[in-house]
Amino acid sequence: MAELLSEGLKGRCLLVVEDEYLVAADLTASLESLGVEVIGPAASVGEALSLIENSGSRLDGAVLDINLRSERVYPVADVLTARGIPFVFTTGYDAVAIPIAYTCAPRCEKPIDKTQLVRWLSNTGSRK
Amino acid sequence: MPNKEELFELVVESSIDFAIFTVDPNGLTTSWNVGAERLFGYAEDQMLGRSADVIFTAEDRAAAAPEEERYKASMHGRAADDRWHQRKDGSRFWASGLMMPLRGEDSGFVKITRDRTEQHQAGERLRENEQRFRLLATSIPQLVFLTRPDGSRTWPSPQWIAFTGLGFDASLGVGWLEAIHPDDREATQNAWQEARSKGEYYIEHRVRREADGEYLWHQTRAKPLAGESAASSDWVGTMTDIEDLRGLQSRQHVLMAELQHRTRNLLSVVQSIANQTIRSSSSLEVFGTQFGSRLRALSRVQGLLARVEDQVIDLHALVTAELAAHSEGGAESSRIKVAGPSVALPPTAAQALGLALHELATNAVKYGALAQPTGQLEVTWELKANKPTSEIALQWRESGVSMPQAGSPKRKGYGSELIERALPYQLSAKTQLEFGPDGVRCAILVPVSAESVHG
Repeated sequence: MAELLSEGLKGRCLLVVEDEYLVAADLTASLESLGVEVIGPAASVGEALSLIENSGSRLDGAVLDINLRSERVYPVADVLTARGIPFVFTTGYDAVAIPIAYTCAPRCEKPIDKTQLVRWLSNTGSRK
Repeated sequence: MPNKEELFELVVESSIDFAIFTVDPNGLTTSWNVGAERLFGYAEDQMLGRSADVIFTAEDRAAAAPEEERYKASMHGRAADDRWHQRKDGSRFWASGLMMPLRGEDSGFVKITRDRTEQHQAGERLRENEQRFRLLATSIPQLVFLTRPDGSRTWPSPQWIAFTGLGFDASLGVGWLEAIHPDDREATQNAWQEARSKGEYYIEHRVRREADGEYLWHQTRAKPLAGESAASSDWVGTMTDIEDLRGLQSRQHVLMAELQHRTRNLLSVVQSIANQTIRSSSSLEVFGTQFGSRLRALSRVQGLLARVEDQVIDLHALVTAELAAHSEGGAESSRIKVAGPSVALPPTAAQALGLALHELATNAVKYGALAQPTGQLEVTWELKANKPTSEIALQWRESGVSMPQAGSPKRKGYGSELIERALPYQLSAKTQLEFGPDGVRCAILVPVSAESVHG
């Protein structure tokens, strides 16, 4: 991974929402190796919302798996949007299966290309 | 100017396509023209003074048809005669003729007739074809219709009437549009313009079913009747119910999207397993062995999933498949005990449990119960029916194993991570992994929905 890109994530605080443990653990480990403080991972909308609630103002980005066990992640996306926190979707679905209201957020198709994910997270992270 | 009699004789003698002959009141031939010679095969001198009834078939003679004809002619002034006649050589032809009484009392009759076999047979064929069409059109499940090239209907089949509840007359002209979904009517009508230039009508539209008021998708096709020009002739059309087909198509789209989603998720899992195996591998060789073994465990779960129709896996099948992959032949069976009730696992639970069991089995083969001659392995589970959710309580118990030194290994392995972290994270399971004095013990408590219990 390009040094410049990974430098951009150091010290960032990112929420990871992903219901598949192996994917969540791998993503968490990858982000932590780039100096990211990972909130989560969360496997459900409920867990994700309470993590956001408890994270105060530290949270400055998120990686959201669209399709969780028996629910969609959109309520989490709504709360993040309301708080002005940028996020990236990850999904195994085609773009057509995503409601139009959420099509403007960057979308990483599974299996995740981490270089692309990091590039997007770096670009969206200049909020602070 | 020839006199009437001369003129008459001239006409009669020159009419070679018409058989013209006269008979006396009893049917004996009194004149027989060239046309009659040609048509019936009897020469004039053979017929004069002889009964003309020989031109009738034996059946008609037996039924007294000749007498009836003469009777009709004398009563009504004429008798039409359309029937099969017989030539001298016995061959038959369809004759179309007329018998009239000659003027004057007891003067007899004149009969004029000609061969109409071809026309008769063409007519017969037409009637047969029409009958065949009606039979076909009224017995196939499709709704059949005849129409003008502008879409104005001239005949609706009984099936159409039964399906739409629109009567025969109400369906004629553009009346049939009444049964088409209002949103589809314009397209239905417009398609006729295109049809005239293409020589074929095609549209998919919704047709109202009288029985329940539902609109069902139909595929409607029409073509000009054979051999006629598209712009002027009658067209024949069929309307086929494609509601089920369209339902299946949309279901297929959903399934394709779901399949793609699952495939990508599975690849994500493979990617994660690869990354995590890389992190814990000291060499490419170690990575290759471990990654291959984990991939096969994942593949076994997928294999089980592919074999079941309702996308649930029985826990017993999962445990057995995992152990079979690690045991080396029948001798192992006496050292392994597997027991528990039938429990259906959803795909995600099956995958997570399958991978955890794989790690337990791998370790048992390498260091535990399946590596040592005195080792025993028991995999048992029971279903605890609680409210609101039931729980599967699974026990993995190795015994007769001499453990290396005392206590647990220094570094927690991938198996421990799967059991202690993945299962709680993914299945809300409660797990406990212990390295007992005579072998590994693992307890897994997985909440399941009530319908997972079967058998």
